Amino acid sequence: MKESAQLALPLRVDAEVRENRAEGGSNFRLRLAVAGWPGAEPGRFVMLSPGARGAALRFDPLLPRPMAVYRTLGVAAPPEIEVLYKVAGRGTRLLAETHAGDRVRVVGPLGVPFAMPVAGRRALLVGGGTGIASLYELAARAAQRGPVVVMLGARSEAELMGCDDFAALGVELRIATEDGSRGHRGRVTELLEAALDAGAGGEAIYACGPTPMMRRAAEIAALRGRSCQVSLENRMACGFGVCLGCAVPRADGSIALVCRDGPVFEAGQVAWAGLP
Amino acid sequence: MGGPAVSTVDTRVKLGGIALRNPVLTASGTFGYGAEFAPFFDLARIGGIVAKSITLEPRQGNRPPRIAETPAGMLNAIGLENVGVDAFITEKLPALAAGVVVVASVFETEIDRYAEVCKRLSGVPRVAGLEINASCPHVKSGGIEFGQRAEVLAQLVRATRRATSAPLLVKLSPNVTDIREMARVCEGEGADGLSLVNTLQALDIDIETRRPVLSNVLGGLSGPAIRPVALRMVWQASQAVRIPICGIGGIMNAEDAIKFLICGATAVQVGTANYLNPLAALEVAEGIEAHARRHGVARVADLVGTIEVPAR
Ligand SMILES: Cc1cc2nc3c(=O)[nH]c(=O)nc-3n(C[C@H](O)[C@H](O)[C@H](O)COP(=O)(O)OP(=O)(O)OC[C@H]3O[C@@H](n4cnc5c(N)ncnc54)[C@H](O)[C@@H]3O)c2cc1C
Ligand SMILES: Cc1cc2nc3c(=O)[nH]c(=O)nc-3n(C[C@H](O)[C@H](O)[C@H](O)COP(=O)(O)O)c2cc1C
Ligand code: FES
Repeated sequence: MKESAQLALPLRVDAEVRENRAEGGSNFRLRLAVAGWPGAEPGRFVMLSPGARGAALRFDPLLPRPMAVYRTLGVAAPPEIEVLYKVAGRGTRLLAETHAGDRVRVVGPLGVPFAMPVAGRRALLVGGGTGIASLYELAARAAQRGPVVVMLGARSEAELMGCDDFAALGVELRIATEDGSRGHRGRVTELLEAALDAGAGGEAIYACGPTPMMRRAAEIAALRGRSCQVSLENRMACGFGVCLGCAVPRADGSIALVCRDGPVFEAGQVAWAGLP
Repeated sequence: MGGPAVSTVDTRVKLGGIALRNPVLTASGTFGYGAEFAPFFDLARIGGIVAKSITLEPRQGNRPPRIAETPAGMLNAIGLENVGVDAFITEKLPALAAGVVVVASVFETEIDRYAEVCKRLSGVPRVAGLEINASCPHVKSGGIEFGQRAEVLAQLVRATRRATSAPLLVKLSPNVTDIREMARVCEGEGADGLSLVNTLQALDIDIETRRPVLSNVLGGLSGPAIRPVALRMVWQASQAVRIPICGIGGIMNAEDAIKFLICGATAVQVGTANYLNPLAALEVAEGIEAHARRHGVARVADLVGTIEVPAR
């Protein structure tokens, strides 16, 4: 939601896996050394080719998978990025089998980042499932500008991602699990409702997670006359606006590409009923 | 074939009157309007780009989902989404550096509209040639593709040939019984070259919902899965006509592209590979040159049609 002219241009790099660690549930943490990595504003993503790992390129599965840049580790040379992912199907299962020293093809950084909150304003970040991974850099940078509340949700405690990292940022962390194994028993959007009703107003609201969760967060915000930034997920083939495969309808009837015009959108601009 | 390694290779080819610095182009619909790839490499280093197919007016495409992955391939049903011929000329072409060879791709739903788009593109200095995408459903034939019926294809090529004096390539649909017949029809109507193949009509199903995976129900299959079919069609077409052929279908690397040259293609287009590897076209071009050097082939054009079929 920022002028794309200011954003770093994407690279294609065969990155080296430094670490690929199971983190409980179906969660993994992948650390990649990416030569020339220019850094990524919060909310941008990369395309990873799980089929193109190791020495030989394979073409099945064919398409790269979109993954948020969880964070850039600035101290390393070459720069390293972390990706938090859940094993969801064939591509992520292959990714889970990679070892330190393997190569994984990276194209990125891609997409339009979140707009930062106005300095001094409270920011409310709502993350569910793998959507949590899109919020870490946002939380880190927003925390330098004002108070931040991060609300994370998952089915159970084991499926939660990144909690310790968020806690280490010193932001206020609130948790919801559907089975009540940690924090509030219920949905993370209930935490958002409570925070908005108890708050002083004027907060910047951000949501990233499964579509029904983001749709609910958008409703909660809209009911209170508030805007909300969401980061949409969609199937992608290219990630940089050339296949036209990731199109979604906008509320005004036009078409947006999730990879090029998003993944971050103002919730009110999205035609939620038309999402795949 | 060839002799000892050579130090320099002449990579230039001529495709139906279009001079190319090497035989590698990018396939329509897989390279946007070109500028999207400028961060990755200098587009003047490949033979040329075939832009996304354009219509007379800007159009929106199909509802999502528009793409799905299949074994070693993908399905797409994007629809006719494009910026329209006028925005293509005034906005998209000027965004490309001067040395980039651009072939404009044209599709429409009626023959006179195809001809009108060709007219508007004629004489535009940045347009090196036109490619007629015959894989569009013909409204008057009840949705069957223009390229699926010989008489309709003949009318289309005749009308577009009359509309332009620019080099004219016709991109054939593979969804036909005999590709040789379609190739001959195009040659007979004055096409300068052929591009083949477009995507193969296909279907996939989600067994949980029992629904087709694409909103459009049917989609076009592309990627390595179609390469042997495409290679067969290029070989058959190259035996049926004398106009040059641009081979397309599942090319992922130089080895794949060289197979098309050997089977009679004068040039190739890299398609789906651009999605997973934005540097694919450049790597294919460099790989072909390296292969020629290693095999003592002084001119890449000398590889074309060198298939050796053992006597049976
Ligand atoms: C911008 C963006 C950022 C993302 N960031 C992350 C991240 O940081 N961590 C993470 O774990 N995942 C992330 N995802 C989702 C991730 O891309 C998918 O989970 C992954 O592509 C699944 O691949 P697969 O081969 O394992 O599953 P498949 O076998 O392809 O599919 C398994 C299941 O997931 C569904 N699915 C597949 N692809 C997507 C998709 N792109 N979006 C939604 N559902 C999908 C399928 O319908 C199916 O039900 C992100 C997606 C986008 C668009
Ligand atoms: C998403 C997508 C969009 C495409 N759009 C067009 C198009 O607009 N015009 C066209 O002539 N071909 C189009 N094609 C077909 C390709 O140009 C090419 O003929 C086909 O994909 C086979 O080559 P490949 O296997 O290398 O991709 C498209 C293909 C894909 C995958
Ligand atoms: S994923 Fe290709 S255009 Fe968005």
